[in-house]
Amino acid sequence: MSEPKTAGDEPVVELRRFSKWYGDVVAVSDLSFELRPGVTGLLGPNGAGKTTTLKAICGLLHPSQGEVLLFGRQIHRDPMLYRAIGVVPDGDRLYPRLTIRSYVRLHAELHGLPDPGAAAERAIAEVDLLPLAERKLKGLSKGERQRTKVAGAIVHQPALLILDEPMTGMDPGQRARFIELVRLIGAAGVTVLVSSHILAEVERLASQILVLVGGRLAASGDYHAIRDLMADQPRTVMVKVSDARRLAPGLIALPSTVAVEVDGDALRARTRSVEAFATALPRLARDQGASLHEVRTTDESLEQVFRYLVGRR
Amino acid sequence: MRPTGVLLRFSLGQLLAGRRLLIVPLVALPLVLVAVFAAGADTDPTTFTLDLYRQFVLPVLLPVVSLVFSTSALGAELRDGTVTNILLKPLPRPAILGAKYLAAVLATLLVLLPAVVAAHLIVAGGLGSTDLLAGMVLASVVGALAYCALGMLLSLLMARAVLVGLVYALLWEGAVVSVAPSASSLSIRGYTEGVLAAVLSGGGVDFTVRLGPVSASVLAAVVTLAALGLAVLRLERMDIK
Repeated sequence: MSEPKTAGDEPVVELRRFSKWYGDVVAVSDLSFELRPGVTGLLGPNGAGKTTTLKAICGLLHPSQGEVLLFGRQIHRDPMLYRAIGVVPDGDRLYPRLTIRSYVRLHAELHGLPDPGAAAERAIAEVDLLPLAERKLKGLSKGERQRTKVAGAIVHQPALLILDEPMTGMDPGQRARFIELVRLIGAAGVTVLVSSHILAEVERLASQILVLVGGRLAASGDYHAIRDLMADQPRTVMVKVSDARRLAPGLIALPSTVAVEVDGDALRARTRSVEAFATALPRLARDQGASLHEVRTTDESLEQVFRYLVGRR
Repeated sequence: MRPTGVLLRFSLGQLLAGRRLLIVPLVALPLVLVAVFAAGADTDPTTFTLDLYRQFVLPVLLPVVSLVFSTSALGAELRDGTVTNILLKPLPRPAILGAKYLAAVLATLLVLLPAVVAAHLIVAGGLGSTDLLAGMVLASVVGALAYCALGMLLSLLMARAVLVGLVYALLWEGAVVSVAPSASSLSIRGYTEGVLAAVLSGGGVDFTVRLGPVSASVLAAVVTLAALGLAVLRLERMDIK
């Protein structure tokens, strides 16, 4: 992997009391953590400060207070550190007229790689885009554009890889292959930081997580320990069904169900186990002759989990 | 190729692509058409071409083309977010700004100079006055360097950089300088006229300018370097949201 390396047990990324504010609005407050090789998930609801934190690590934002160190150095004073960093930023930040191959090759050339053509081909192959390599970026699906960005970020085999919501727009098959790729990169000794607001996504990607809520670090450490911490927190599931009143008694009878509210053809269930609820729901609907139209966990419930984590600290 | 060279080549390609290419016929057609009509008339070719250059190219085409390219070179990428593809690379920000600036200057000259030279050749019916040709090329280069530096700085400071640049070029340099001659010391058009007059005076073509050759050259260099220096400072300190 690319230079520079950290000496001994020094962290690859270190945030020391990092804060960022815009006028009176505080985006991130007093954030401190360290990253070492392996995959770390940065989890938090929308607006929690994930992108601000990632941009500060990349050197796109200057800290209002505190320090951000990469390999023990400040990136603003040492742009050559970018030789060791790959970034997939949020949003659609591509050049529409370029092809996948020319876009990834451009990244390789801007990194000054000795054989940019070969590096681009390898990176495109790693994200399964070789058959589409001559397609223009403006004609690609969201998932294909995301994978193109990933190819551009890994073309120089960075020692630190930063991915901001990288699986947006990918279909389940692409997600599975992407997760496998990120795991392999992490296992090879690369420090990977992946942001997401989806718990299940992070669970499959990373064993270590950082949870941001309201611009503050709400929890950090092993994913399973944090999941156990919040396991007893009920989640809300919205169900739209042809006959909500007939379905409600069966749902209330489930051991994990805390409460059920019926509102016309919709019901809101509070459950301690979304998995058990999701397993039982189709069977109950079939038994009652009801048709399911929509089933989803609400964003509010995720935020409640985060608020709960904040309350526990 | 070195990464800064790659960035220069890529940026030039980006500038001379898509809808911005419409600027080529918009610049070339009026000049060539006027030159074709003038070639058939009973006019002194040197006087006619000089007037065309001073009345149309210097006050309109040069600032418009320079400002369109220079405010797009980095400003457009800042607005659509693609600038992260470049900023997250092992390139010092002054080198990034330098490559973008050079791309804007080259794009301006590639669009403008062929049309100016073609108009000159058509009016003269041959090579014509080489002093005039050299003067126009040199003045165009000096103007492109200064306007592009101004455009780069404006694009890093505000969203409507082209508009502000055009207000400067058309209102300040056009209206204000004509009623307050001392304002020409802050006029890029004044610098380019000074450079043009200096080259032409050797060939016996004289016209009145407010700035002498030394003042014009020094002021053009100072304004260009000051704008670029401020642009570098701005780019190094700005947050990319």
